[in-house]
Order: sequence, then structure tokens, then C-alpha cells
Amino acid sequence: MESLALSLVKSFPVLSAAPMWAVSLALMVTAGVVVLVFALTFEGVGSLVLRKVAGDIQARIGPNRVGPNGILQFLADGVKLVLKEDLIPEKADRFLFKLAPYLVFVGSFAAFVVVPFGVGLSPADLNIGVYYVMAVTSLVVIGVMLAGWASNNKWALLGGMRAAAQIVSYEIPVGMALIPAVLVAGSLSLQDIVRSQGGLLGLFGWNLFHNPFTFFSFILYFTAAQAETNQTPFDLPEAESELVSGYNVEYSGIRFGLFFLAEFGDMFIVAALATACFLGGWNVPFFNAALLPPLWGNLLSLGVFLAKAFLMVLVMMWVRWTLPRLRVDQLMRMSWKYLVPLTFVNLLGVSLWLLLFRGKGIPQMIASVFG
Amino acid sequence: MGLKGYIHDIVEAVVTTAKGMRITARYGVDPKEEVTLQYPEERWEIPQGYRGFLHNDIKACTSCTMCVKVCPVDCISLEAVRGADKKMVLASYDIDIGRCMYCGLCVEVCPPKSLKHTSGYEMASVSRGELVLHFVPEDAAEIKARVARQVAEAAAKAAEAAKAAEAAKAAEGSAEPPKPAAGPPEPPPATEKKE
Repeated sequence: MESLALSLVKSFPVLSAAPMWAVSLALMVTAGVVVLVFALTFEGVGSLVLRKVAGDIQARIGPNRVGPNGILQFLADGVKLVLKEDLIPEKADRFLFKLAPYLVFVGSFAAFVVVPFGVGLSPADLNIGVYYVMAVTSLVVIGVMLAGWASNNKWALLGGMRAAAQIVSYEIPVGMALIPAVLVAGSLSLQDIVRSQGGLLGLFGWNLFHNPFTFFSFILYFTAAQAETNQTPFDLPEAESELVSGYNVEYSGIRFGLFFLAEFGDMFIVAALATACFLGGWNVPFFNAALLPPLWGNLLSLGVFLAKAFLMVLVMMWVRWTLPRLRVDQLMRMSWKYLVPLTFVNLLGVSLWLLLFRGKGIPQMIASVFG
Repeated sequence: MGLKGYIHDIVEAVVTTAKGMRITARYGVDPKEEVTLQYPEERWEIPQGYRGFLHNDIKACTSCTMCVKVCPVDCISLEAVRGADKKMVLASYDIDIGRCMYCGLCVEVCPPKSLKHTSGYEMASVSRGELVLHFVPEDAAEIKARVARQVAEAAAKAAEAAKAAEAAKAAEGSAEPPKPAAGPPEPPPATEKKE
């Protein structure tokens, strides 16, 4: 952010009158607002697309009353959520009850900070990017547990406990499935990971095709991440049929809206991480976007990144409307007996591959054979 | 569970998920699979023998009360008085459509086939009391009073005629007893009660 501020001051000498920290602060606030607006828009449109996809898959039409073809449905939903009465149960722990949605929201949105949207478009390119995402998304557990506990409702408590158990369990396979990408790139920074997948190989420079183990780790990551964000095959915390709606039963109005937004934010984060770590991030196949003038390069890479990420979101929705919900014991068994050992074996495989072939992937080897 | 079973489980999970996703993708991509009917704009075709709201053609109704007796939920109420021509006159015929369970027994049992199921199925009201269909538009008390008056008139006429006949008999000695002069009472105007 400071380097950006410096370049801005250089290109616009007028700004040099203002102190450096003020320019930096203004830039940070701008970046924050832009990302927040993007996230909120994504959530609105995402909820509409989710419902439309659900309609298509279930041989229905989906929302089609508000606006042409129902495209304004998300605005109606948003207005409804804001206007609803904000209820707090009488026996609830008022302070914790009010705090919980913010924790969940912050935990989900803090992850947007390191998302590599484009060549130079990353709110903050932390050198511990992947680690940071893993850490802040764990904050959601606290919020969810608080929500369940503070509601003073048996369904909410059960949902909160399930969510906590689930998120903590699936944190391990998610982390272990992301490490192969880190190993290949040799860096925890998401921008570095994306850059490592560029080059002349195009599509085959992606970590997805680096070697068989990275391919498996992509699938393992995607599965585990769906569970970590409580997406439908694993949406035990809010299993409607048994828990009414889980940890957020007692919430209404804008507080419920925050949980809802956090859920969609998580969805995008999972898709964005999968894109950045395995699908080449903002790399345009057979084309180096970093060589273009900054504006066009950034726009092109942003478009490519968003296209890939939204495709992943679409796949998540597709899975969501396909698979039935697991049972609690099945969920735990899947994590501890299948995903955790598999990710560890996979990690070992990737490490051995990198050691044996000196960091070269299969496409690189084939390319070197043909010169 | 050995290693073989373990690997079998994993393979099965992947294969079945892929199978399910192929099915949902087919439904998701094919727009012709939509089964939704946009109700207020589009209607489905009412099948023959559809049991919708009941309708009683009160011109044909004989007030036999078969429907009232057969109704399992007692949703039909009927009031009738005997008219001057010895025929029953309907004073009121109400069906509590909110209570009706559309079993169709009353329609089957109706001797003049005046009670029918229509194809109507749309009705809304803010209270349950408004869900009663009235088939006789006039007030029941009015009809009763009118019929009673007509009966009384007819009786008076008959008595007069009898008296006159008796007098004539007494005068002439031989005369046939006259028929009752009163005609059939005017049937109440039969306008359907629309829902």
C-alpha cells in the first residue's frame, strides 16, 4: 500500500503537499471500501444466482417477479433484511448476542485483504497470505459459537457446537491441501503463488496440472473447504430439518443479514483461494498480463481472476444442490478418517515429487523434452 | 475395514458424487425441464369430474334434504317450507365451503341432479364466516312469511270455495266440489350467488 502511495505521489505532484501517512490512509480506506462494495455486490448477485441455479437444477424457474426475469430480487431481499425488526430474545446474553454477528462478518471479510484480484490488485500482499487466510477464517468459529451460546436456545446451541466442531475439524485438511501450492511456489504470499503459475505453458503452468498430487490436493481442498464454510452437503450447523436453522435461529433483520453475508463471503474466499492456488489466479493463459500498461493489465487480470473465481462459485452451488446433507458422525468420519490422512499422504507425495524432480512439474518436463 | 474397503469407500464417494452432479447438470442446463406453472397467469386444464365448489341449481332443487343427511361434515344447511301447492319451497340453502371436504356424496345422492361440482377453486376471505355460499338470494324469513301468506290465502280461498260450493249444493242440490283456486306460488327469482 505504501509503495502504491509513493507512486501515486510521484505521478501526481499535487499530493506531495499532504503528509505521506494521510495519502496512505486515504488509499487504505479507498481500497477497503472498494473491496467491501465488491463483496456486498457479490453477495447480492450471488444469492440471486444461487436461487436461479437451484431453480434450474430442481426443474423450477426460481425468482422471476422483481424486475425483469427477477434480476432485482436481491435488492428486495436486502431491503427486507434491513427493514425487519431487530429482535433480541429476552433471556439472551445481550452483549454476546450483539457481538457474534460482527465477529462472523469480520472473520469472513478479513480474508478479502489478501485476495490477489489482479497483477497489482491486492488490498495487501502479505508475505504470509495463505497462513493469514487460514487464521482469520478461524475467527468465524468464535462468532458462530457465541451466537449459538448467547441465543439461549437449544437449537442455536446445538448448531453452534456443531459448527465449531466442524470448522475446527476441517481446518486441518484445508490447510494441508493448500500447502502443496505453497511448496511449489516456495512462498506463502498469494501473489507469489499466482506468479509461479504463469509462464509460457499457459493452462498447463497451473498448479492443478503440476503433478498428480497437486491435482488431488485441489480436489481435497475444494471438498474440505466446502465443509469448512458450511456449504450444503456439510451444512450441519444449520440443518433445517433437525435444527430449524442452527446457530442463527434467534437472529433477525440486519444481524441475520450479517451471517448471511458472511456465508457468501466465505463462499467467494474459498473460490478465490482455489483459483489463486491451483487455477493460475489472474494469469491469462499464453499471455503475460504484467507486460501490458498497468491499467489494462490490471483490468484484464481482474476479469480473468473473477471469471475463474465465479466459475468455482458456480461449481460450489452445483455441488450444493446435488448432494444430500451428511449425518454428524459421517461428517466427522469424513474429516478425520478420510480427508486428514489423504491430505497428509498427498502432502508427502508433493514433497517427494518436488525433491525427486527438482521442483519440475509434468508439463515442464514434457516441454523440456521437446525443447 | 481393511485398506481395500477404505479405498473402495473413497472411490464410491467420488463416483456417486460425479453421477449425481451429472444428473443435476443435465437438469440445470436443459431449460425444457421446468415444471413450474406461473399460476395466476397460466392455468392448468381442469380435468373431467373435477370436484370444485358445489353449486345448487335452486330452480331444480326439490328440497328433499338428501344432501343434508348424507353430508359427513354437515356443511350443508337447508330450510324449506311447504308451499300452497304442497310442493316444498326453499327458504335458504347454504353450503359452508370452508368446511366442505369435497367428497362428492351430496352430488351422487341428489335426486333431481341439481347439486353439481363446478370447476371453481379460487376463493378468499378475511374470516371463516364469509366462506359460506348462499344459493337463495332472498331472506329466509321473508320467503317463509310470503309462503305462509300464500298458504293462508289459498286455504281461505279453498274454504270460501267450499262454502260457496256448499251453498250452491244447498241451493241446487247437485254440484261438483270446486278445485282449489290458488295457483302455485311464484318461485323466488333464481339468480346465482357468485363467489
